[in-house]
Amino acid sequence: MDARLRRVNKEIADCKNDKTSNIRIELIDESPFHLKGSFPGPDGTPYEGGHFEVDIVIPESYPFQPVKMKFITKVYHPNISSASGAICLDILKDAWSPVLTLKSTLISLQSLLCSPEPNDPQDAEVAKHYSTSKSSFEDTAIYWTQIYAGGPGPKEKKGKGSSRSDVRDEVAIAGLEKAHVDQFEALGFQRSKVIDVLRRLNYRGANVAQITDDRVVEELLK
Amino acid sequence: MNNPELQISDADAHECQVLQKEEFDVLESIYPECISSQITEGTLKLEIPIEFEEPRNVNLTKDCPSSPTTMSCDRPSESVTLSTLPSLLIELTLPPSYPLYRPPQLVSIRATHFWLARIPLLHNALTNMWNPGEGALYQWVEFLRTGDFLQNLDLVSSIDMSIQLSHPSPHILAPLLIAYDTSSKSSHFSQNSYPCSICLTSLKGSKCLELTCGHIFCRTCLEDFWKMCIEEGDVGRVGCPDPDCVKAGREAVEVEVARVVTDAGVKRWRWLREKRNLDKDPTIIHCPVAACQAPVMKPTDVDQESGWGRLRQCSQCFFSFCAFCRRTWHGPITPCTIAHSEKLVLEYLAAEEGSAERHTIEKRFGRANVQKLVLTYEEEKANKEWLHASTMECPGCQCHVEKSLGCNHMTCWKCRQHFCYRCGERLAPSDPYTHFSIAGKPCYNKLFDFQAEDADWQPVEGFEMI
Repeated sequence: MDARLRRVNKEIADCKNDKTSNIRIELIDESPFHLKGSFPGPDGTPYEGGHFEVDIVIPESYPFQPVKMKFITKVYHPNISSASGAICLDILKDAWSPVLTLKSTLISLQSLLCSPEPNDPQDAEVAKHYSTSKSSFEDTAIYWTQIYAGGPGPKEKKGKGSSRSDVRDEVAIAGLEKAHVDQFEALGFQRSKVIDVLRRLNYRGANVAQITDDRVVEELLK
Repeated sequence: MNNPELQISDADAHECQVLQKEEFDVLESIYPECISSQITEGTLKLEIPIEFEEPRNVNLTKDCPSSPTTMSCDRPSESVTLSTLPSLLIELTLPPSYPLYRPPQLVSIRATHFWLARIPLLHNALTNMWNPGEGALYQWVEFLRTGDFLQNLDLVSSIDMSIQLSHPSPHILAPLLIAYDTSSKSSHFSQNSYPCSICLTSLKGSKCLELTCGHIFCRTCLEDFWKMCIEEGDVGRVGCPDPDCVKAGREAVEVEVARVVTDAGVKRWRWLREKRNLDKDPTIIHCPVAACQAPVMKPTDVDQESGWGRLRQCSQCFFSFCAFCRRTWHGPITPCTIAHSEKLVLEYLAAEEGSAERHTIEKRFGRANVQKLVLTYEEEKANKEWLHASTMECPGCQCHVEKSLGCNHMTCWKCRQHFCYRCGERLAPSDPYTHFSIAGKPCYNKLFDFQAEDADWQPVEGFEMI
């Protein structure tokens, strides 16, 4: 048995035995080198109550080369690509050390959710949102946590801003622009359907140029 | 004091015997390494190594025969830092009435290499430690092993807590003490077990290596890691694998590398380090002779405007070549031949297959030669196209980098230059992300390339809460 397999097996076993960290690692298929990690969103953040899944690929020369990780669950966070789930964290690149483990790396991702670094934005659109209006950013992050990560949603925020939730703009919370929604609504589609499709297609920021109107309409007609 | 005929009752004698046996058993279970004999006819031999909790300064002064017990010659002639001092060898007898009525009798105290001069004083100090009815051996061993006795013998400086030893020839004693310290440290290291945080197993010290930063890893893991880095030419990663050391960029020193990888590996490591330093100078060209590859400096005493400016001569194999085309020197006037052959190939390819022009060229240079040239040209062209399409040149060292995954903020593994993978612009290491965050710039919002298949992210429907 080679050293890489031995180490990965040990890491998986160690994660199973550790009941306190709440980090889970599961096999996706037969291979122990393609895994799915998951952890709960940290408390006291818009990600609280959510369950976040991460795609893990163990490279050939692990642990001497960094593990490849990206979010499977869509996350609204300045340091995570809202389009692909890619993460640009130093320890996943040049600051990787063979001493780091799957568990410690997943814990680092978890703490990344606690402390967004809008000055090192990975997703400029989200970072702009974060810097301009933190409360509006948080509304969107809570909404995304609810619909993509099974979070409790804004109802949990009892006593605070219950009147605001009545008037909250569905379009803004989905991270979309009113003009885009209006444009497709004008074609005769239902507003809620338009929001749903645009959100799924990630019709935001630079992606708008990448997605043709035909593609959107095609989705709307499904 | 020397009264062996002390009479004791049978009951007392029996109790003493039991207490002596008990004391010996306790001592043997706590300090097995200090006991060098069993009790035979009341005689016991102890060999007690002196181990300080932290390394201490030891000053060795030349012993003056005129005053053997006081240190009148205060010039320290040698000063060393040690964690251990050579063992004290003690032979003692336990009288039948010990520990109730008599102390243990010291037969002899010897210090290896005669490093301790005040043995009679130590005799008294030890004997005075005994209290009637109590065992003294454990206290003795503890008193000697920790080095506390040095204080009692007045050998510790009250100013800086350094240990003051006198010896007839300090310059001979000092290296012996250092050698003993080193060997006891390494035997101590090899006897202990250490957890290796790479293979996540615990291994004997003899299979581990302690790096100069104090981190300990198993040799197999270090070898696998460093061998891979050296093979791949990633010389900057040959260092301590600890995350903090990686962030600090702490590279291994030659003795560490030599203890881990093969001799050939060390040679390549050294060569890579030299090459890395040379690569920082863009005027250096490597000798084009495949077997040589020595770095060739740009000559300083030549008019760069003239054709001579492109002449280079390798200092290793004396091959003279043109810096532009990297071929045999073709004089200051003749243009590079590669351009000539390329022109020929272009001419050949421009003509139609089976045409008279092609036929003429084939006849003039030989069909096989022309075919070979065409093949090389096409290969190079494909290479260049591939490089252009799928890689980006590092603006720092011109090394082509292919991105497999992640964002467009790149750090060159060779020269540590930060740059944008999209446009090749240099980025400030302190703030590399502004490049992707300024609206209106071509790379705005392009930290990640959009991949259409990733748009199929679906919300979790009917997601079960865990």
